[in-house]
Amino acid sequence: MVNGFVPKTLQEALELRATRDLVPYAGGTDLMVENRENVSYLFLGKLPELRQITVDGEYVRIGAAVTFTEALASDLVPPLMKEAVSRIAAPAIRNAGTFGGNLGNGSAKADSVLIEFVADAKLRLVSVRGERLVDVDKFYLGRKKLDLASDELIAEVLLPKRGLENYYYEKVGGRNALAISRVSFAGVFAEQDGKITNIAAAFGAVADTVLRWKEVEQMLIGKTLAEARALKADYLKAYEAHMTLTRGRVSAEYRKAVCMNLLGEFLAKFGI
Amino acid sequence: MDKISQSVVKKDHAPKIEGRSVYVGDYVTARDGRPILTGKLLHAKVARARVLSVQVPELPAGYFYVDAKDVPGDNNVNIVLDDTPVYCRETVEYIGEPIGMVVGPDEKEVQRILSGIKVNYEELEPILDLRAAEEAFFDYEFGHGDVEQAFREADKVYEEEFETGYQDQTYLETQGMMAEPEADGRMFVHGSSQCAYYIHGAVMRVLGCGPTGVHVLQDVTGGGFGGKEAFPSILGAQVAVAACKAKAPVRCVFDRREDLEYTSKRHPSLCRYKMAVKDGRVIAVDCDVIFNAGAYSTLSAVVLQRGIIAAPGVYNIPNVHVRGRAVKTNTTPCGAYRGFGGPQTFFAMERMMDHVAQDLGVDEIAFKEAHLVKQGDMTSTQGRYHFPVPLQAMIDEVDAKCQLKRKHEEYKKRQTGRFRRGIGMSAYFHGAGFTGSGERDLIKAVAKLRKYADGTVEILASNGDIGQGVRTTFPKIVANELNLPLDKVYYDHPDTARVPDSGPTVASRSLMVVGELLRRAAIKLRTVWVEGQEQEVEERFQEPDFMIPFYLDKFQGDAYPTYAWGVDAIEVEVDTFTGVTRVLNAVGNFDVGTPIDYNIVVGQMEGGFLQGIGYASIEKMDYDAKGRIRNNSFSDYLIPTTKDVPNLTAMLHVEKYPYGPYGAKGAGELPLVGATAAYVAAVEQALGAGKHPLRHAPFTAEDTVKELTKEGN
Ligand SMILES: Cc1cc2nc3c(=O)[nH]c(=O)nc-3n(C[C@H](O)[C@H](O)[C@H](O)COP(=O)(O)OP(=O)(O)OC[C@H]3O[C@@H](n4cnc5c(N)ncnc54)[C@H](O)[C@@H]3O)c2cc1C
Repeated sequence: MVNGFVPKTLQEALELRATRDLVPYAGGTDLMVENRENVSYLFLGKLPELRQITVDGEYVRIGAAVTFTEALASDLVPPLMKEAVSRIAAPAIRNAGTFGGNLGNGSAKADSVLIEFVADAKLRLVSVRGERLVDVDKFYLGRKKLDLASDELIAEVLLPKRGLENYYYEKVGGRNALAISRVSFAGVFAEQDGKITNIAAAFGAVADTVLRWKEVEQMLIGKTLAEARALKADYLKAYEAHMTLTRGRVSAEYRKAVCMNLLGEFLAKFGI
Repeated sequence: MDKISQSVVKKDHAPKIEGRSVYVGDYVTARDGRPILTGKLLHAKVARARVLSVQVPELPAGYFYVDAKDVPGDNNVNIVLDDTPVYCRETVEYIGEPIGMVVGPDEKEVQRILSGIKVNYEELEPILDLRAAEEAFFDYEFGHGDVEQAFREADKVYEEEFETGYQDQTYLETQGMMAEPEADGRMFVHGSSQCAYYIHGAVMRVLGCGPTGVHVLQDVTGGGFGGKEAFPSILGAQVAVAACKAKAPVRCVFDRREDLEYTSKRHPSLCRYKMAVKDGRVIAVDCDVIFNAGAYSTLSAVVLQRGIIAAPGVYNIPNVHVRGRAVKTNTTPCGAYRGFGGPQTFFAMERMMDHVAQDLGVDEIAFKEAHLVKQGDMTSTQGRYHFPVPLQAMIDEVDAKCQLKRKHEEYKKRQTGRFRRGIGMSAYFHGAGFTGSGERDLIKAVAKLRKYADGTVEILASNGDIGQGVRTTFPKIVANELNLPLDKVYYDHPDTARVPDSGPTVASRSLMVVGELLRRAAIKLRTVWVEGQEQEVEERFQEPDFMIPFYLDKFQGDAYPTYAWGVDAIEVEVDTFTGVTRVLNAVGNFDVGTPIDYNIVVGQMEGGFLQGIGYASIEKMDYDAKGRIRNNSFSDYLIPTTKDVPNLTAMLHVEKYPYGPYGAKGAGELPLVGATAAYVAAVEQALGAGKHPLRHAPFTAEDTVKELTKEGN
């Protein structure tokens, strides 16, 4: 028997979450597969507070219960995020699956989470105690380990409004649809007055969490393209050295080779 | 198009599309209204061990534990040999081998009991790798000409090794069987299956009863592809034993993990080929074929026979030697899957021809064309190709369709970009019907027509519709001969209590062999037809006179009366950064004789071809160091989705077979057989033929990157 609670408001949901042992349930696309026994669910999929996409001065804010299909239909969601989301599963799963669920599942293969990593997104976490903003990379503590208290819910993803225009994205799955990422890559590039201001690279599905090495990125920040080209070999070597990948459905060697190829293509795309 | 080829709505279309079809898992009660007990198998957890004891927790009332001790007759399942136990003997031989079954009214409780059972094993060293195998279940050898002499005389001798992996049938409906003890003492066994009489024979032996002690019904079946040829005999025997003990109806339906891990799949293979060339022609081939049979022999004998008969491919080679072995390992027993041994050896032979041509500096396609067999030529077993061999015309048609030869030339040029292209071609056959004298000596098919007083005609035969359409095509043939509207002729799922044994639903034989029996029966009925009367006619199989008798001990004679022919061209684009390969174009040209229903046949060709492309590319299944199959879910074992169907064309080239109904010959398996060779040839060309000889399938994205990494070094 499945027991469930269908709160009407976020406040009600948070009170239930604080007082009972409930599993948050959004689209259920991960939870239905898990089919856990003897649990009670807290259904979030219809909460209006979690179902909006809004923009403020700095961020595009995507509610945790917004589905992938809704995001694809929105003019507010940046193209990079849309491209990644469009590669998730197939229409039926995209109709149900949500941003909060993708985060909550804790997987390094989550396609929308990769974009949040490369974009330096923040998450708004809420509870009866209040709310806090946390950087997405701090939210992931390890494999399936999240910085989420037992009374907290993910409320929103805060995606920076600017800076995601120049990107390179690639998902390698086992086939063209309904394929979990075997390697995924997202890179974001920005330049001002001839100098590189951002060159973020994130790697998904190759380790316990999405990987990003800001210290390596620093090597090229503030450099001109010509300087960056001169540093390219060292920069790639630094990535090589950092990348200790795990094996999964494919070998670690394959993953690394693909990551390095895609990283190289990212640089090439922006003239490095 | 012949009138008989014009498409009709399949007889099972409406019930299936409307969700009214009842599959074995759907029954709410047994036929007599009794509740159905759930059976779940206790599977061995180690690949090889002596079973010292099985500790079953105390069972609540109404629950049973069933094992070998409960088998009333013989604890051996009759397949080709009878080495497969119903429930394990003193040892278990592979991970998943059934030790026993827990049976009871509540599935959760059955699961709980199952997980409480403790099996004490004395572990033995398993043999997993076919290269390490010590025992061959079957070891065949044949040939003609003087191979050794030819190798001595040759200008050049080539030797290569080819490997292929598992492939799972991945039918939509998992394995499931049910047994109901009937009031009159008979055991009624039914479920998802292809071969009602195989199950009938197996259950008789296990229950130790006569032919009338059992009857077997094929339920509506959600796909088989060979996977339900032998396995339902095993599961049918297991539920029958359980129903005997419980004295109640018992049903066991596998979940997907059980099905992927523990049921039969295509044999992995290792083929070592040696080829002699003189004056630019292949003068000899020596094929050493090894199939991984798994722990029990099940269907390996016949799969291997078909595989090795095809080992020299579709080429006229004067000196041939073939050895074939099916070796025992402590892995899941392999069995039948569409193509039945042919995909493995055609892969080896086609790749060998490609590589030899490359070394000789001649075009691969031209090299193959120069060696094609023709009507009247000798087969590998010293039979004859009695009928026209349309391969050259079929290659020309494929070429016209997709500019095969022009592209093949173009892609030979060195490519250096991220995306590189290649196109490959394969030519192959599928022998129609049972191998050798099986139809004459073993099957001896009988089919009947029963006409009722109201003028409707029922077909009585034992071939099961598993999606391939025999419930439609059989009635089409009979209606055509009797000049009746199609709705006056029907064919239900066979129940051995009512229908004669027209043989199993295998070997692409149903339409060609049984269809022809029905055509003749219909002619007979037409001549004796009396309005308003109930009448019955019968036809029996007769071997056509032109056949050169086949001797299995020598592998000599006509292994098949005729052949279905195929030519595939597959064009790919390889992403050298990720290894991901896109099929740009897949063209298959299939000669299965007259299509008895155009849509059905094209559907079979498209589906089979796509299965072949999956086998060639993404369908990778492997076991770990302990012998456990790792790819036991649909997220780990990937098959093509609708988004992966490439630009795929199935063409029909019709070379009528005079002894099949209206010229039809075996169709079901052919389209899967050649895809692997064509696909891997295409990937090879994209990576640079000559530089990267590719010798295994599936050839995955990871393999491509590995191959290119070698290049970098
Ligand atoms: C066939 C199939 C294919 C798939 N393909 C892909 C793919 O290509 N790419 C991909 O990234 N994913 C894929 N997935 C996984 C899944 O669809 C996604 O992870 C999806 O985003 C989950 O969202 P959901 O709303 O369905 O999550 P749910 O199943 O409802 O929840 C998932 C987890 O998140 C927690 N959770 C949900 N909402 C919140 C919240 N607001 N606060 C705190 N915790 C929360 C839940 O407790 C649970 O632990 C696939 C799944 C299936 C079944």
